[in-house]
Amino acid sequence: MARWRRIIAKLRGLVANKRAEEDLAREVASHLTLLADDFERRGMPPEEARLAARRAYGGVEQAKQAHRDERSLQWIEQTMQDLRYGLRTLSKSPGFTITAVLTLALGIGACTAIFSLVNAVLIRSLPYGDAGRLVYLYTPNPQFNVPVEVFGPAYADFYDLKKESTSFQDMTAFDQSVFSLTTQGSAERVSTARVDGDFFSTFQASPQLGRAIAPSDDQVGHEKVAVISHALWQSMFASSADILHRSLLLDGKTYQIIGVMPQGFEYPHYSDLPYGSAQYKTTQIWIPLALTPHQMDDRENARGNAVARLKAGVSIAQAQAEMSTLMVRLDKLHDARVRGWGAQVENFVDSTVGHVRALLWLLLGAVCIVLLIACGNAANLLLARAASRMRELGVRVALGAGRSRIIRQLLTESLLIGLVAGGVGICLAYVFLRVLPHLNPGNIPRLNEASLDIRVLFFTVAVSVLTSVITGILPASAVSRINLTDFLATSSSRSVAGAHTRVQSTLIVVESALVVVLLAGAGLFIRSYINVVSVDTGFSQSTVAMNIELDARYSQPQRVEFFRNLFARVEALPGVQKVGGISNLPLSNDEDLREFEVDGYSNKKGQLAEFRRATPQYFSAMGIPLAAGRLFTQEDKSNRSIAIVNESFAREYFINRDPIGGRISREDDHTQWSSVVGVIGDVRDSALEKAPEPQIYNLDGDFEGGYIAVRSTLPAKSLAATIRSTLYSIDPNLAVGDIQTMGDLESEASAQRRFQTSLLSVFAGIALFLALVGLYGLMAYSVSRRTSEVGIRMALGAQRTDVMLLVLKKASLLLALGLVSGLVASWFATRAIQASLFGVGRHDPITTLSVCALLAVSGLIAAIIPARRAASIDPMQALRTE
Amino acid sequence: MPIQILQGTLDLMILRTLSTMGPQHAYGIASRLQQVSEDALNLNQGTIYPALVRIEQHGWTRGSWGKTENNREAKYYTITRAGLKALNEETERWRQMAGVVEKLLAEEQ
Repeated sequence: MARWRRIIAKLRGLVANKRAEEDLAREVASHLTLLADDFERRGMPPEEARLAARRAYGGVEQAKQAHRDERSLQWIEQTMQDLRYGLRTLSKSPGFTITAVLTLALGIGACTAIFSLVNAVLIRSLPYGDAGRLVYLYTPNPQFNVPVEVFGPAYADFYDLKKESTSFQDMTAFDQSVFSLTTQGSAERVSTARVDGDFFSTFQASPQLGRAIAPSDDQVGHEKVAVISHALWQSMFASSADILHRSLLLDGKTYQIIGVMPQGFEYPHYSDLPYGSAQYKTTQIWIPLALTPHQMDDRENARGNAVARLKAGVSIAQAQAEMSTLMVRLDKLHDARVRGWGAQVENFVDSTVGHVRALLWLLLGAVCIVLLIACGNAANLLLARAASRMRELGVRVALGAGRSRIIRQLLTESLLIGLVAGGVGICLAYVFLRVLPHLNPGNIPRLNEASLDIRVLFFTVAVSVLTSVITGILPASAVSRINLTDFLATSSSRSVAGAHTRVQSTLIVVESALVVVLLAGAGLFIRSYINVVSVDTGFSQSTVAMNIELDARYSQPQRVEFFRNLFARVEALPGVQKVGGISNLPLSNDEDLREFEVDGYSNKKGQLAEFRRATPQYFSAMGIPLAAGRLFTQEDKSNRSIAIVNESFAREYFINRDPIGGRISREDDHTQWSSVVGVIGDVRDSALEKAPEPQIYNLDGDFEGGYIAVRSTLPAKSLAATIRSTLYSIDPNLAVGDIQTMGDLESEASAQRRFQTSLLSVFAGIALFLALVGLYGLMAYSVSRRTSEVGIRMALGAQRTDVMLLVLKKASLLLALGLVSGLVASWFATRAIQASLFGVGRHDPITTLSVCALLAVSGLIAAIIPARRAASIDPMQALRTE
Repeated sequence: MPIQILQGTLDLMILRTLSTMGPQHAYGIASRLQQVSEDALNLNQGTIYPALVRIEQHGWTRGSWGKTENNREAKYYTITRAGLKALNEETERWRQMAGVVEKLLAEEQ
């Protein structure tokens, strides 16, 4: 009690040091006065009395310092002592130290790595001022059965909202497009945002050099200016200082560079806009939107993306209410045939990172389990060590070391281990972050910006300290219960060891249970991943595809001529079999949904199908099989009254009748019919995991741009190079984007799943490894503890197999307990990942059985080594050792 | 030759002084120790400060500012209930210790 009071007093002393110091000075002065008074009373003159008092008192400063030493925390010095002692003992048993450090380092490293991801993606604030006040504005229309985010406001609506709303401080409209950027003879496709004059002020982003696009630039006739990204400035202009005197050639037109954005501002990113095109990873150039008065008044067709910044104190709900009210009025101004435009205000940050939040928390949860297992192992190691150190600690207690001093000593040691492990963990996390860009699935915003910043380092230190305390507290409390008399009486540590193994066994059971949960989760993800990649996409993986759009230099007839020429030249290449064109390639995230009607079907309002325009050769180039009827042929020329549908369409809209010859509304003229000439196989179009949607293909007799699919016997790389040089020989100023195989696209489409599955599997693997090491360690430890017992058993006639079974039985018991509790835990825990599974239930029996088998087999293998060691004990020697 | 103070014994002596004399300031305690030891205890008066802090931090004494009879201000230390208990324990321990040492020394001669 008194000790605690003293510690508290000292702690208070740390805070109230100034007062204590003043108090002390006052007390010393009073002391000296009293002394001097006494001397005066004995007849000394005052001056002499004062000096005598000083003499009698001794050194004033020394007295004060002694007071301070006593008052302040002595434990700083004691801690240094503990540290020195800890370092010495740890370095004396390097095997233990290295194992403990590496175990914890794995856990801490994994935690740090994932936390640095969470930090970059979820915590670090977006470089857009107070991003929490940014919102996306949409005008959804429930008539169309599509997600809310498909419809940004029509420009006329946007400008009316901007004029009339009072919730927003700023509002901006922008659009995305790809331009050919020509430099010294070569051309490159760059993603560009066309933004209005309020874009940069809405995002509160100012250029690093020059100026941003102002409202005065956003006018027809003044729009030939451009702001470029930091990355483009570096790569294309070598960070040249006279950048503001340079210009860009975009689609053959000259734009004066007026500003360079700072690093990190590349909005909009691919993942920022819910329906952004996959072609735009980041934005490199911003040019004025410069709408014509006609476009600004367009309420039906021209629409853009809209972002607004809420006024301070205005909530999203308030803004939503206001926008809804305004849209009720604006909806009446729309074409009477299509009304019902509503309002939707969505949190910007949620839209940006919302889709990966669950994934990141899941990963963080998984690494926390890994860390817990690592803690369990380290605690077990420390317990085992504490048991073998009983004698040393007992002697220290006997010599007068207080219990708190012993606990502190042990905690200092575990803290040392934890901090070193934290250091190693940071190195591991660094390695992970170097590998990370290769794993990047491409749709996690700012994943590549993950780094070990101050916050991450702080997190690591906190985790290391916490880990040390968790691992150190068990052994320390066990040791502090040493009963001195028992210890001295038995002069052995057997009595405490028994209690220890119980704690250790419990730890192993908990560890195996945690491993089972992780393995079950990872197993379900692996099964889902296998299901995803084995989905029949409906097209050939080896087909090479690219996107080619011609810029404004080409007139319509020139475009048609360009592609006729290109198709002919590519077809003539040796090894090339088929060349086809399509408006929207599968898995390219391009979509064209339209309303249609089917003759003889009870058509519903807002009934949508995916519309595609294909050249005759497209289906064979893609390897899409024909199910019925015929494909388009050259003889069809540009016949607009024929169509091909996919099997999903046929199933849904031609129930119990032959789709061939059936009639559907024409793409270009709703009042006319076109007839179905063929049915083709389904393809996975928007995502691998989404069931195929009904599709209507129209013939594109005059291909003017879009995606080109090439089927050949050539290797994809050399074919791509040949196509590039062919294009270059036709038009050197034409920029071509990626030339990829469909397999590449498929792999990109499953990238996020691969990312989470591989990370989870790695973590589950680490966890399993740690748990097995823990099990092995415990078994080996208990065998070495029980050497003499085994000796006695063998002397009394036990066979070697009996001894082995003895050990294996114990290991199996622990594993079985862990397995059962783990299965129970995962029965509930898998609910968290249910939504992310594909084609597999969360209680999948195959996964459960595999997990059981894996844990049982690997657990027994880990136990068999100590079991064999136990069996090979020589009874004579064993009995003699103690 | 002046006696060196054994570690820990100063606390005991201060507690004892406070319990017999009532509240005292540092100077009073130091004078009292000197007087009792008949000047055999060579005590720089500043030396008792660490002991005073230690005792106070244990909660064995409470300090408060007051006036001496000559109207000088001084910090008075009062022994607390916990202090009295500690004094008993310390006294007991000292007696045992002294007994052991005494016995040992007697044996040796």
